[in-house]
Parts: sequence; structure tokens; C-alpha cells
Amino acid sequence: MISYKNFSFFKTVFLLGILSLYFVPPTWAKLNVVGTTENLAALAKEVGQNLAVVKSIARGYQDPHHVDPKPSYMVMVNRADLLLYHGLDLESAWLPQLIEGSRNRQIRFGQIGHLDLSQSVDQILEIPFGVVDRSMGDVHPFGNPHYTMDPLNGIRIAHSIAERMSILDPENESLYKSNAGAFETKVNTKLKQWENRLRKFSDKKIVTYHRNWSYFFARFGLQYLGNVEIRPGILPSPRHLADLAVEMKRQHSNLIINTNYFPTKWSDLLAQKTNARVVVLPAMVNGIPEARDYISFIEYLVNRYEQELSKSP
Amino acid sequence: MKPYLILFFIIFSLSFGGVASPQVKGNPDVDMDEFERLMDQQMKQSKPSNSPEKTNRNNRPFRVNGKTSNKMDKVEQRLDKLENLNRQRATTFGTRSNALSTTATGINRLFNPAISFNTLGLATYRSKGNGPEGGEHDDEHEDQHVHGFGEHETGFRIQELELNAQAYIDNYLRGSITLAMHDVEDIEMEEAFVDFVPFLNLNIRAGKYFVPFGKHAQLHTHQFPFIDAPQAVGGVVGAEFNEVGIGINPIIPLPWFSEISFNILNGDNETLFDSQHDDDFAYLIHSKNLWDLNENTTLELGGSYAFGENGSSGANNHTDVVGANMTIIYRPLNRTRFRSLIWQAEYLGAFKETGIEKETGDHNPDENIGGVYTFLQYQFLQRWWIQGRYDFLGLHNDDVPGEAGEDTHQWSALLAFANSEFQSLRLQYNYLDYDGFGDRGFDHEHQLLLQLNFTMGAHPAHLY
Repeated sequence: MISYKNFSFFKTVFLLGILSLYFVPPTWAKLNVVGTTENLAALAKEVGQNLAVVKSIARGYQDPHHVDPKPSYMVMVNRADLLLYHGLDLESAWLPQLIEGSRNRQIRFGQIGHLDLSQSVDQILEIPFGVVDRSMGDVHPFGNPHYTMDPLNGIRIAHSIAERMSILDPENESLYKSNAGAFETKVNTKLKQWENRLRKFSDKKIVTYHRNWSYFFARFGLQYLGNVEIRPGILPSPRHLADLAVEMKRQHSNLIINTNYFPTKWSDLLAQKTNARVVVLPAMVNGIPEARDYISFIEYLVNRYEQELSKSP
Repeated sequence: MKPYLILFFIIFSLSFGGVASPQVKGNPDVDMDEFERLMDQQMKQSKPSNSPEKTNRNNRPFRVNGKTSNKMDKVEQRLDKLENLNRQRATTFGTRSNALSTTATGINRLFNPAISFNTLGLATYRSKGNGPEGGEHDDEHEDQHVHGFGEHETGFRIQELELNAQAYIDNYLRGSITLAMHDVEDIEMEEAFVDFVPFLNLNIRAGKYFVPFGKHAQLHTHQFPFIDAPQAVGGVVGAEFNEVGIGINPIIPLPWFSEISFNILNGDNETLFDSQHDDDFAYLIHSKNLWDLNENTTLELGGSYAFGENGSSGANNHTDVVGANMTIIYRPLNRTRFRSLIWQAEYLGAFKETGIEKETGDHNPDENIGGVYTFLQYQFLQRWWIQGRYDFLGLHNDDVPGEAGEDTHQWSALLAFANSEFQSLRLQYNYLDYDGFGDRGFDHEHQLLLQLNFTMGAHPAHLY
């Protein structure tokens, strides 16, 4: 009899304990913002400043196409008031799992806490035309998703985030909007310098591993010669690299840009055949320690491009 | 030394050579020396770079003196720009076409569910049991064949063809339906369920679904880490553990990922529950916990328990099923696509009461069975995996010493080439060591399996 009572007592305490854990009311006063990449998180930090806690799912040195849908990220998304993502199918291999697994209604598709930032960008580049299928590799049928590399898009994104944060937290609307405005002013001042420094290299042809750089090149008047990978996500073949090497020699191109999350061995081989240089660059904020926020990231890229392009004959 | 051991040594010494010297910087998916030789050959075949005859778009024959060519270049550049602009415009406006409008036709393709087909083509060779006397074709084993574990017949076959459709049904529900065809003939409804998130932290799933029991039993055949399911899973709960029921799956707000899943199931699983009464349900509880040990490594621990009435003669005969699983995944964040190491181990046990003998009043001996397996998967190049598995079925059953039991030890090795996430080719070797001859007539066998796995259509993201 006693043991039965004890059992029942312990059981009650155990159940109440579990329940109390479950119904702990959220006490966070700040907005919880989760960005899929460091670039979006960095822009959200510019807008949210100390009113928001901003986290990024992918690290700055991680390929945003290939992220594991780890349950720890589900916990992150579970506690989010606002979810920011690139869209255009960049995160389609893993974000749906995280949204479903998070059991957070507020950040689901169509909800106020769900923000696809490709909608804020004026012009999406490289939308394939005609029929698209998987023989083309990891093709993005809706266009190139690496639009955060253009600082003007950075401004647009910051404004979109400010607008959405104002809806979620109307009391601080003016702060979010003024933060976005301040960010715009800062970028615009910098942008003129950046353009002056890079525009003069518009005749240089650059080889890159992947087309991460389309928006950056479009903004600063730089040109691709070709890509090391045959098609997005498809490893190069000897023939492809040989053709590229011949073309590089013909057009006197001697700069190969390799984003830091792609292997460099093919770029190295190509460089060896063409006397070109391989430069490894980050594609995201925090991809290297120097690029700790959005402006210092773009600044770093402009510095490196200027430095490398002025070395070219 | 037994032949399977030699094979293991060769494969693992190869794989650990790779572990010892991981070239993170230049990931050698192919032999780079060979690659370079081919590239050199190709470059020689190309015309010398200063040849004026080359009919390249930017180097046309009429371009003779420098000044003209500069002008031509500029004109060409402007043309290229205009062409690009037009292309972009065409596509932008193209997507806004209202040709798909259904106002008049009523035929709407926009809201079709995302559909995918997955096919598993399998070629099998087994060293024993190919004759009419060896191949057992009784009903009990038939069931094992269709579930993709157990004895494999020599020959070619379609292991499974799976059709999956997923869509949001309305603002509350998300639905998923999976039909599977095994061995060409029969169609099985593997899954048909809806998911609903009523409020924060809670998911409700209803319909027929793979119940959250253990780790491996939740996987569709094409997601299996090896070509076949371990005997430890197939022999205890069936290689695929799907039931009709309702599951409530809250996330517990703890610093790590912790999910508890409560399920009420109809309990019609032939292997475990098959109550004679309609109002006897099976109940299942599962806990899944996952920790990030560091940013490259995760540890998952899970525990499962299910109970329900079984179909043994007499009432109130219960089956209890327990499971415990552990998975460690190492995948460096800066090379997610190129290298990973997965170690998984799982225990499963089923304890089945079989009623009381009416005449004597004695309890029949329980039918108990349990198994363990453990495997290691190592991705040593972007598209290449090497794997090894040990698998044992035969815990808890009271084999009489000296008599032939049904215990099975299995060693497996696998080499996989996954060109993309939509296609993979896998070669697997199994060595099975049976504890006695049983009625099959042999006590060990070798199996060689070759599987082609391909997916068409939408490809839903996989579980972690």
C-alpha cells in the first residue's frame, strides 16, 4: 500500500515537473531573429541593434547550399520570432525540414515571422530561360540567389527587415527604421569609394569557381571569363579545364577566385597551367575574422579585388 | 582466415588510410595526376592561343588591324549587353504569364502536390540456397522479402518503387502520401498522413505513418544506410514499422533538442501486435535527444517503448518492445559536401506473451527476440562512401544449448558512389553466419548486392 502511494506521489511530481518545463512562459523581451546565412544575420543586426537577438544557421565559411538540418537548428528556429532566408531555392535542401521540425507556427510560410528576402531585390540575375532540368546540375530555376553580394541589395534587405520588425514590435518602429536609414547612409558613402576603386578594372576577365559573384561583379563592373565547375555543383572535367585554360591564355586572364567553402585543387591546377593566381575569398560575413559585419565584409572583398587586379599585367 | 575477414581488412585499411591523412584543402575526388595528364592532352589539341584562324566569337577572321578590331569589340560588347537584357526581361515577364489561369478551364496545375518517384534496382547473388531445396518460399519469408531484409534471392529485381506526394492541404494541415511497389507485383500504402502544428512546440501527426520507434525502423527503403535493413531491425519490429494512429510530438524546451513522441496506434502489426479485439490499441513512446558536441559533431540518443496486445490465443497477452539508439555524426562545416563520418548503434528487443495452456494452466514460454547492430559510414571523397556493419539477431530467445537456433550474425561491407543526391550506385557484401543449420540446410552464406537508386521529381529533404 505504502509503496503504491509513493509510486503515485513520485509519478505526480515527475509529471508536474515535465509540465512545468513545458509551460515556462517565454520571458525574452527582445526579438529573436534567425537568418539562414551570416549575411542576412549581419543585415538584421544592423537593423535590430540591441533590440534583437540575431543568430545565423549556416556559418560564414559554410556552403549555404549544403547545410545539415540538424535538430539543434530546429531549436533555434523554434525560438525565433522572425526567420530570414534567401529563397530562390538556395536553402530548399534543408530549410523545409527545420521549419517543419521547429513546431513554430509564427515563422511558417505565409506568416508574419517568415521573410523571403529575394522578394526585396529589384533584379534577380541569371534566371534560366527555356526548359530547366537536373542535367544542368544544381541549377537555380528562379535565378542566382547570391544577391547579398551587391551592397545596394544589402540596403533593400535592411529596409525590408526593418519593416517586418516594426510589425512584430510596433513600439520600436521608429528605431528600426532609423537604424535601416543610418545603414543606408553608411553604405552609400562607402559605395562611391568602392565603385571608384573597382570600376577601372572593368576590362579584366576573372575566372571563379562558382557563380557566387554575379551580383558583386554587376555592381562593380567586373567580368567573368568562366567558371571552374562545369555547371553549378558539377565537378570540372579535364576537357572543361583545358578549354578554360586556353581561353584564359588567349584573353590574358590571370585571376581565379575560389570561394572558401569550395575545394581549391582544380583552381590550383588551372592556375599552374596558366600562370594565374588563385585567391580564396569568403562569400559571407564571418567567413574570415576580418569580415565581422556587412560593411567590413564588402570592404574586405573590395580591398582584395583591388589588390589582386592591380597586380595583373 | 575466413574470406570475409580478409575483405574487411582490405576495405578498412583502405578507408583508414584516408582517415589518417585527410586532405581537407584539396579534396581528391579523382586521381589528380591522371586529371592533369588528360587536361594537358586536351590543351595540346586546342589551337595555339595566338592563331588568328580560330573561329571564336570574339576573334572573327575579318578582324585584321587593331583599330577595327577595337571598334568591333565595342559593338559586340554592346550587342551582348542588349541580348542579355532582353533575355532577362523575357524571363521576368514570362513568369508572370497568366496562361496557367484556370478560371475558364478549371484544370489547375499550380496546386498539384510535389511528386517524386524513387526506384531501387537491385542485383543479388547469394552463395547458398539457390537450388529449389534451398530457397524457402513459404509465407513467412515472403513477408521478409518484400520488406527488403532477410534472405535475398539471386537475380535482378526492382527492390522497391516508391511514389511520394506532398502538399499543404489548407492553412492548418500538411499532407504526405507514399505508395510503394515491391518486386513489381504488390502495392503497399506505406504512408498517408497529415501534420498539424496547433501551437508552439507541438506537432500532431495522424494517419498511417512510420512510427517513431528507434532509428532505423523510421526509414524508407531508399534511405537505408545499407542496401538491406539489419536483421536486428527486420527480425524484431519489421524493416519498416508503419502503423495507423495518432502521434503527439512536443519539443521539450531544454537547452538541447529534446522531443518526446506519444502515439496511439491501431496495433495491426503482424510482427508485434495483432489483437483479436478491436478495442485494444498499441501505445508507443519515443524520446529523441540531440546534442552538438562541437560545431562539426552531433550526438543523438534515443529510447523507445511500445506495448500492445498480440494475437496469441487467449486474452491479455501483451507484447512489449524496447529500443535504444545512438548516432554520432561528424561532418566538418567548411566541407559539408566532401567528408563525413557516421557511427550508429541500436538495440531492439520484443517480448511477446503467448498465453496460458487451457488444459494444464501453465504459461506458455514467451516468444522473445532481440538484436543489435552497429555501423560506420565514412565519406572519403565528395561522391564516395565506404561502410561496414555488424548485425546480430538472436538476443533473449531461449535457444536450447546444442540445438540449432535461429541466431544470425551478419557482417557487411559497402562501397557507394553517389554522383548527386538524386542517384547512387552501391555495392554491398554480406557474410551471414547462422547458429546451426536450421531448416535451410546450411549454416553460413555470402551475398553480393548491387543497387541503383534514383529519384525523379521533387526530392523532399531527408531526416538528419
